Amino acid sequence: MSAYTALTRASYRASVRDRTTVFFTFAFPLIFLVVFGLIFRGKTVEQSGRGYIDYIAPGVLSWGVGNAAVFGVAFTLMQWRRDDLLRLIRLTPAPLGSVLASRYVIALAIGAVQAVLFIGVALLPLFGLHVDATWPWALPVLVSGITAFLAIGMVIGSRADTPEAVAAVANCVMVPMAFLSGAFYPLDAMPSWLRTASKVLPLHYLNDGISRAVSGRADLASTAVACGGLALFALVFGAIAVKTFRWSNAS
Amino acid sequence: MTDNEPPAPAASPALVLDGVRKRYGDKQAVDGISLTVERGEFFGVLGPNGAGKTTLVEIMEGLRRADAGSVSVLGSSPWPRNLALLPRMGVQTQTSAFFTRLTAREHLATVAALYGSDPAGVARTLALVGLSEQRNVRVDVLSGGQRQRLAIASALVHGPELIFLDEPTAALDPQARRALWQVLRALKSEGRTIVYTTHHLDEAEALCDRVAIIVAGRVVALDSPDRLVGAAQAPTRLLVPAGRLTVERARAFAGADRVTAEGGSVVIETRSAGPLLAALGADVGLDGIRTRTATLEDVYLELTGELAGTEQHA
Repeated sequence: MSAYTALTRASYRASVRDRTTVFFTFAFPLIFLVVFGLIFRGKTVEQSGRGYIDYIAPGVLSWGVGNAAVFGVAFTLMQWRRDDLLRLIRLTPAPLGSVLASRYVIALAIGAVQAVLFIGVALLPLFGLHVDATWPWALPVLVSGITAFLAIGMVIGSRADTPEAVAAVANCVMVPMAFLSGAFYPLDAMPSWLRTASKVLPLHYLNDGISRAVSGRADLASTAVACGGLALFALVFGAIAVKTFRWSNAS
Repeated sequence: MTDNEPPAPAASPALVLDGVRKRYGDKQAVDGISLTVERGEFFGVLGPNGAGKTTLVEIMEGLRRADAGSVSVLGSSPWPRNLALLPRMGVQTQTSAFFTRLTAREHLATVAALYGSDPAGVARTLALVGLSEQRNVRVDVLSGGQRQRLAIASALVHGPELIFLDEPTAALDPQARRALWQVLRALKSEGRTIVYTTHHLDEAEALCDRVAIIVAGRVVALDSPDRLVGAAQAPTRLLVPAGRLTVERARAFAGADRVTAEGGSVVIETRSAGPLLAALGADVGLDGIRTRTATLEDVYLELTGELAGTEQHA
């Protein structure tokens, strides 16, 4: 068994054996979908004429995927460093790349399961989401999005030393972004200056990319813009993460 | 260890430290330490809390970089992270360093995989530290002693040449402690080198070939426990049941340096135990007389107390 396989298996077991984590990863974002879906059931956004669910479903999915990537890696990194597991890994010949790759694969798998689950629920007649044939464009956007939010999570996990600090910082980043980037509230219904401002937020690109894919407004160019934006965030935060990474809390 | 590994040159020692220094802020944690640990040696690092033991061992392990001086571990430098050297070393982990929500066996299998070592080592190592029965118990519900044994197992699972143990018997009950002594002696008899820190001086005396006593970042004594005890010339204590001898009469014996009454015994401190015992035997008989020779602990307390002065806390 390679170091990468061993770490992936260990992370997988740690995830599925913790009901709270499973709940917050899958059920919690789903609650937003159900609540928003029921509140805005059958309603359309005046500015575009499209149903609210067409905005909310991709929005909640984007936020849920981003949230899980940020929290998952930030908590793991903080915990592994606090418990001296990083020190243990540091003393084995396991390359740092296999540590990161195992987290990456876990995050991608969680994102894939979330996507299938959320879209599946949104497709129920009660909510009435329509998925267009252009949906496969969402896949590269999802992968880029998970990469970008994983990098953000790594920065948070490298700096925060307690679970409270991780939760506080990650929530500070993710909750305002949910509203400002159009994930929880249609951007089309927002003032134009906010629509412009949302372009500095990574969730905007993830949300926009997925939203276009499921509603049949995606093409190579729009997907490239979404993926490019997310890749830029991934690069910037990835570079910061490399700079801030610490093997142990003791300097 | 694999068969195709080139035989290590017998001449190269396991560890060579020369003039190693490490400073944190205005505290000189390690203040010019030089020592050599031979292959197959059982080497104890002793000293009061805050003496610099942990920093010193972390420099040996390659977790910290020395500010000055040179460090050679199994013939190469442990800093920066030396991927060729790491599999040849085993380090007892902190008892918190277990993969979350895994069982003892799963944790150790993960560690073995990180070292790229034979998975067969997992069951063998669990048996060695007496955790076979707990192999399917989750790490978070193991008892303190069991966690400690799993932490030790993490240092042994890949069959390293050089093993670092940090107070390995601290949380163990007396039976488990003696069982671990057997494990450590067996590891030594296989030719492995063991460097360990402890506060149990009786244990260091029983196990170590040599010990280094560290105070305030410096080596204040470095030798075999026997020679350290011998060189200290600490007095021997003879304990005579109180009914047989009064303090006054005891003082009259030649060689009785100091006499006190302690818990039902008359305690005679002497530096010539042989002649004094003979005289006592002729007078009151040897029955029931107990002899307490100086131990490593006496030497340790003398050295650390003297040098650390009032900084010594219980």
